[in-house]
Amino acid sequence: MVSTNLNEKEIWGWMTEVPDPEIPIINLVELGVIRAVNLKGNAVEIIITPTYTGCPAKQLFVDLISEKLVEKGINDFEVISRIHPVWTTDWLSEETKAKLLKDGISPPTVHNKKIICPHCKSYNTVLASQFGSTPCQSLYKCLECLEPFNYFKCL
Amino acid sequence: MMQIKITNPFAKFLVRIADSEIILGQRLAEMCSNAPTLEEDIALSNLGLDCFGRGEELMKLVSALENNAFTPDDCVFRRNEREYFCIKLVEQPNNDFAWVVVRQFLHDVYVTEIFKQLATNEHQELAALSQKVLKEIEYSKMHSFDWLVRLGRGTEESKMRTQNALNVMWKYTEELFLFDEIDKTYLSDTDAIAANWNLGVNEMFAAADLERPADKKRHILDFRKGFHSEFLGLILADMQYLPRAYPDAKW
Ligand SMILES: [Zn+2]
Repeated sequence: MVSTNLNEKEIWGWMTEVPDPEIPIINLVELGVIRAVNLKGNAVEIIITPTYTGCPAKQLFVDLISEKLVEKGINDFEVISRIHPVWTTDWLSEETKAKLLKDGISPPTVHNKKIICPHCKSYNTVLASQFGSTPCQSLYKCLECLEPFNYFKCL
Repeated sequence: MMQIKITNPFAKFLVRIADSEIILGQRLAEMCSNAPTLEEDIALSNLGLDCFGRGEELMKLVSALENNAFTPDDCVFRRNEREYFCIKLVEQPNNDFAWVVVRQFLHDVYVTEIFKQLATNEHQELAALSQKVLKEIEYSKMHSFDWLVRLGRGTEESKMRTQNALNVMWKYTEELFLFDEIDKTYLSDTDAIAANWNLGVNEMFAAADLERPADKKRHILDFRKGFHSEFLGLILADMQYLPRAYPDAKW
């Protein structure tokens, strides 16, 4: 089943098929969780990093990656978690941020300033609760359209 | 019965911080569905998750330093009271919301100073973890500082309760700074930790119009030697019940 000319680029491609369990519109590569893919002979080594140390999805990342590799016919693999270099929301590309916004999540901004409402795109918004539905999000309220929304905290 | 022995001095140092974070996480988890408002419920549960996350990452380092003789889970669920090394402050109960706030506040200022010094540690993973914690803990500080001021400058009742929580818990702050040789090996400047902590808390007492309780010498046995307040045993009984009753249980 495993193609003999397996290469790292192909594995990176598979990793883009693994969605973030909490924000499925973005995948683990876009989220910056997948840090390296190493091929050691036929053995695959995936280096990942946690987003928030208290993220309850940490173990789920490993499980989802493992499932994907097995699905692709890889049985000899290891998923290793490393904190260095430290994950930051700065790693989210503009494209990824646009995806978040489209999905109704206001993307992280520098110093958590100028926060856009994903519904009506107004910046006239206020913090409703510093802590939201996941450790990485806060709850905001739009003063224009009056809708509440999630904001991806900057880290 | 598995015996968990921590002998590596670096692991002994790290497990003190790990235990403190885990126990505070457990105390915060007790607030889940018991906070005064829904927003607070979510906030405290999230802060608890942060504590567990830090504790877990530190416990992974402890377990690696002990050649993986035990897993991080074993370390949390299979040690007894005297084998725990958390600070007594985090063991204090959620008597009322003011206790939750004061405990978090005193803790946040303290661990910030600890992680600041560990952020430049030569152990790359510990340094990275510390840098990460310093960013995350800003959100916790925003929360505890904000509440401390709101309660301290709120009503007569809220002020009285907050001052009372502070007066009772203050006696557990002395041991934070009785650094031993192990601490001094891994922290670059233990005097600075005490000095910065004092500056930090005094500033907030002024902001919240609270009175700093008197410092007096007490004879409280050191957490570094496994001595605790009466609460830890009860916390562990609750926290460890499931893995102790069903040792092979899996999620
Ligand atoms: Zn709006």
